[in-house]
Amino acid sequence: MSDHSALISLSAHLALVSSISFGGFPTVLPDVRNFVVAIHGWATDEDFANFFAMVQTIPGPSMILMMSFIGLKVAGFPGAVASAFATFGPPCSIYYVGYRLWDRFRAAPWQEIVRRGLVPVTLGLVVASGTVMARAADGGWQAAALTVIAAVLMLRTRVNPLWILLAGGAFGGFGLL
Amino acid sequence: MAGERGPVVASGVAEQNLVQLRRVSLHALFIAFLSVALLGFGGGIVWARRITVDQRRWLSESDFADIVSLCQFMPGPNVVGIAVCTGAKLRGGVGALAALGGFIIIPWSVGLALGALLLEYAHLPILRNILGGVSAVAAGLLIATGLRLFVPHRRRPVAVIFAVLAFTLMAFTKLPLLAVLFGLVPLSIAASGLEKARLG
Repeated sequence: MSDHSALISLSAHLALVSSISFGGFPTVLPDVRNFVVAIHGWATDEDFANFFAMVQTIPGPSMILMMSFIGLKVAGFPGAVASAFATFGPPCSIYYVGYRLWDRFRAAPWQEIVRRGLVPVTLGLVVASGTVMARAADGGWQAAALTVIAAVLMLRTRVNPLWILLAGGAFGGFGLL
Repeated sequence: MAGERGPVVASGVAEQNLVQLRRVSLHALFIAFLSVALLGFGGGIVWARRITVDQRRWLSESDFADIVSLCQFMPGPNVVGIAVCTGAKLRGGVGALAALGGFIIIPWSVGLALGALLLEYAHLPILRNILGGVSAVAAGLLIATGLRLFVPHRRRPVAVIFAVLAFTLMAFTKLPLLAVLFGLVPLSIAASGLEKARLG
């Protein structure tokens, strides 16, 4: 397959999965891996894992960047740009329209009920994704302790989270985990 | 107009809601979400809350929880959704574009260049160790943010039950997110309706 048609096929697939990535892009990662590695062989499993680990270390829109690295691998710089747009374009339009609709009915009595039902579930999911991240890192009791300390500092103090992150990085860098 | 709001229905945050009637500049939106992107290692939601709620006071705690819930219910990278919704809330369509541009343009360019460089050294142990420490902390910050946003709801037994259920199902079972979301949300909304009917 030529670069050009690979680029189109990758972008189309990313645009499709980004439109159904309820709960965040990580939920469709297994599907993207299947498409890129197993079906088309554009990248290896190792590439995929490296892209994933790397976007966690660099600040910025991590999933958009990860898809861009896949695009870069498949079709060079144009591939990176196309993948980025395919990843954030469709969801952004949906977010915008969804928000305007939600805002229009802000005063409606049913909306308060929906909101009070929706919020607890989604916040439970936020806490769960923190827990899942902590377990995925699999760093033993030291890492678990670090996670708990970070959570307590964030809840109980006004310290800038950046310092907590830096301390965590230093802790790991000195081989204490 | 996009900046308009209906009556404030959420309780206990009326004074905070007054603050954001002030017109926020597009420039400020761009910079705020640029910061969210540049600071947001691991979980941008931590920084989005800190900047829009604590620092700039554009949104109240419950406005933010509202936007996060809405974004979780729509497809896509959630932090991008927070940028779009916050921008739309404060300044309408152009606000959404400004926030989105701030979140994506510079961080994406820098990230792509930096990442291409980092990929060369991905195998180094020291890099892996640092990454391990950072991700442990990032997980803790994410947990704390979720808990803090829950504080206004902590006295509602119904809310506590559904938050714990969602947490448990997602963290300890292999159920797909869609199943958890579409399984729990209708029940949770129904319970919230009953709760309202009972309390008047």
